Amino acid sequence: MNTFEEKAKRYGGGWRSFITDWMILFLFVALVAIFSLTLSTFRTTDNIMNILRQAAFTAIIAMGEFFVILIGQMDMSISSIIGMVSIFFAGFVVKMGMPIWMAIVLVLAMAALIGMINGILVVYGKMPSFIATLVTMNIIKGLNYLYSRGLPISGLPDGFNFLGSGYVGIVPFPVILMFVVAAILFVITAHTSVGRSFYAVGGNLEASKLSGINVVFISILAFVFSGVLTAIGALGLTAKTLAGNVSLGENLLFDVMTIVVLGGTSLTGGRGRVFGVVIGALFLQVISNAMVLMGINTYWQWVVKGIILIIVVLIDSNTKRDIVTTSRKTKLASAEEK
Amino acid sequence: MKSRSQADTGAQAAALPLVELKNCTMEFPGVRALDNVNFTLMPGECHGLVGENGAGKSTLSKCITGENHMTRGELFMEGKKVRLSGYSIKESQRLGLQVVHQEFQLMSEMTGLENIFIGHYARRGGLIDWKTLNRRARELMDFLQCDVDLNVPVHYLRTAEKQIIQLAKAVQSESKVLILDELTAVLQEKDILNIFRIIGILKAKGMGIIYISHRLNEIFECCDSYTVLCDGRHIDSGNVRDIDQQKLIKMIIGRELTQVYPKMGTQFGDTMLEVKGLTAPRAFRDISFYVRSGEVIGLAGLVGAGKTELVQAIFGTHPVTGGTILIRGREVKIKNPEHAIRLGLGYIPDERRTLGLNMKFDIKENTVLPSMSKFRKFKIFQDHRAEARSAYDINEKLELSYYSLWQSVEKLSGGNQQKIVIAKWMLRNSEIFLLDEPTRGIDVGAKFEIYKLIHELTRQGKSVVMVSPELEELIGLCNRIYILYEGSIMDIVEGERKTQEVIISSLLGVNGK
Repeated sequence: MNTFEEKAKRYGGGWRSFITDWMILFLFVALVAIFSLTLSTFRTTDNIMNILRQAAFTAIIAMGEFFVILIGQMDMSISSIIGMVSIFFAGFVVKMGMPIWMAIVLVLAMAALIGMINGILVVYGKMPSFIATLVTMNIIKGLNYLYSRGLPISGLPDGFNFLGSGYVGIVPFPVILMFVVAAILFVITAHTSVGRSFYAVGGNLEASKLSGINVVFISILAFVFSGVLTAIGALGLTAKTLAGNVSLGENLLFDVMTIVVLGGTSLTGGRGRVFGVVIGALFLQVISNAMVLMGINTYWQWVVKGIILIIVVLIDSNTKRDIVTTSRKTKLASAEEK
Repeated sequence: MKSRSQADTGAQAAALPLVELKNCTMEFPGVRALDNVNFTLMPGECHGLVGENGAGKSTLSKCITGENHMTRGELFMEGKKVRLSGYSIKESQRLGLQVVHQEFQLMSEMTGLENIFIGHYARRGGLIDWKTLNRRARELMDFLQCDVDLNVPVHYLRTAEKQIIQLAKAVQSESKVLILDELTAVLQEKDILNIFRIIGILKAKGMGIIYISHRLNEIFECCDSYTVLCDGRHIDSGNVRDIDQQKLIKMIIGRELTQVYPKMGTQFGDTMLEVKGLTAPRAFRDISFYVRSGEVIGLAGLVGAGKTELVQAIFGTHPVTGGTILIRGREVKIKNPEHAIRLGLGYIPDERRTLGLNMKFDIKENTVLPSMSKFRKFKIFQDHRAEARSAYDINEKLELSYYSLWQSVEKLSGGNQQKIVIAKWMLRNSEIFLLDEPTRGIDVGAKFEIYKLIHELTRQGKSVVMVSPELEELIGLCNRIYILYEGSIMDIVEGERKTQEVIISSLLGVNGK
């Protein structure tokens, strides 16, 4: 009979399972090392900070999408939510003269409401999330254009720029924000029962329900998280230009999906890590940054990102990641004979 | 007894064996799944293949079908040696081998007719010749002496009817050898008898049948010969007439079983759960029963009698329109599983792999899932170490075989998986256990361990409501058995009347109170 210590040792298989679990981290380190050695413009402190700053808000938005994918659903509406937050925030502040904090609270509430509607359509309406969020995406897009007539709203106060471009010491403020958000979400996912319920629902909805998990609440909460985190990211993107713009998030959905999957999140749900998403965002940003530094036409980025997504999804759907490695099957078999 | 199957030596001594496997060894990385196993199947023979889960039954049948490539050994089909390099499922099907699983390989939206002939459509002028297909289907049904509606999508059919379609499909493709893998695991007595009848017809046609089942009495009812495997080794083969169930069990688990069912207590406490006049449209009506502390009661009935729905209704996942549920004498309205769990109910569903466990989670996560709220630090954070500790304690108590708390539950055997599902509710301190077919698809040895567990639960004063298609099991464990027929209680048997005969006749709706 084995003791508790023996049976509770995480990664009993040793470094091998650790490496497969954190593959993306090692790839990221390798990528950074290669570019640092080959590109002298890449390894400057300024450039590194620039990469972090540019990745920060996309990473926050991707962390929202992460929750939805974790429960095995999909949120297409984020691109319109970004546009909505940007244009309505600028509208509230510039046109209606609202204080900034009130405008922020208001747009966050709007985004949470959209998330809730998405969740309700999926849970109670039993709509496939792909369709439900595609519909809300288009409705919001329409409302955005009706409100703004397609024109940007500029003239946000200069102080608001700090959110997008400010520095604390040498570290850009968005980077700090990204890590704070990631840390909070990490604690939620790994150390609270609500967080672990996301994994349970994504892993097996019916079994979770029969184990007493409030699957309705958890599913709707995932969409609300997605909405709110998208709104935070959108506020940051707006702050960079100091203008509200409806088309702000139009090309972002693809990047966000790539980041989430790149971070090791299973597309069928139930598996993934918050910090994986952060690394995924940095990974993608390092690639586009290096391509810019090498003077490659920016449209090539779309091609390269597309290829990356194909490779990652292929790996995700063709490997069964499992803590039990082949070398340990023998031990397992002998344990079962007993 | 020592030699290979000698059944039918008298009648068909001259015939060549349909399948002959010699010295088959199958090695997976690190594990020897089969060790020098011999196996022979004659025409017109039904050969029972028995053994515990992991004994090598499915590996053996996969070696024959070509799904696995044996490491060493020879395979002969009708006397001709099969070239093993390049042998595949496709090749074995061409040689006349078909496998019928309990899981359906049918297209649920297509009709029975389309399913039977899929891939073999008769054509005329490039179009499918439905007239010919219809005629041939009718001939097939006549041959099998069955009456199944072939013109509706198969998902409208009963489980037993779907299996008849699978058998018809195998017959129409001119198969010579049929492997029936746990076909009857989800069937009721009446339908099983029908399958046996069909097996008889197929045997008379000269087909050979390899019959894999956990229900040992079936081996005696429909097989001519048997082969026992244990830990990948060939234990014994012979004629079923020369053996009895006790001996067979002993060979399968490698030890003698003195007491199959533990001695259940006769002293019961207060009534824990009482159901009065519970009704749900199209599922069951006017159901009343009670269970006391320390007592096991059984729910018996055919498929469609409403047993599963009844249990689900108590657990809050099936809507009810009338009646009351009382827990510890207090009337409750159970809204959802969450509510049911708070009231002290624990549900062990029939579909272990899809409803009972989360296959993506490890052992620890699965075990603590319903009890997460018990392990809080500062009210909101989860205490992982305390969780792991309790998961370890409870699983050790249930004698679970595992390597690490963090291993995925997917690769555990059925018996071990079921132990985790029960452990979940023991850790949650549930008082009333609702068990829906707790021994479905698990092997003999593991079944006895589940029985012991149920006994242990009652000793702790828990109440158990148990649904099972195996009457023997209900008779052995339950103090009282409620028999459902088409949604209402037909009969209640206890004490002297707890016999197979009484229960079966009530199951079929023959006698009643």
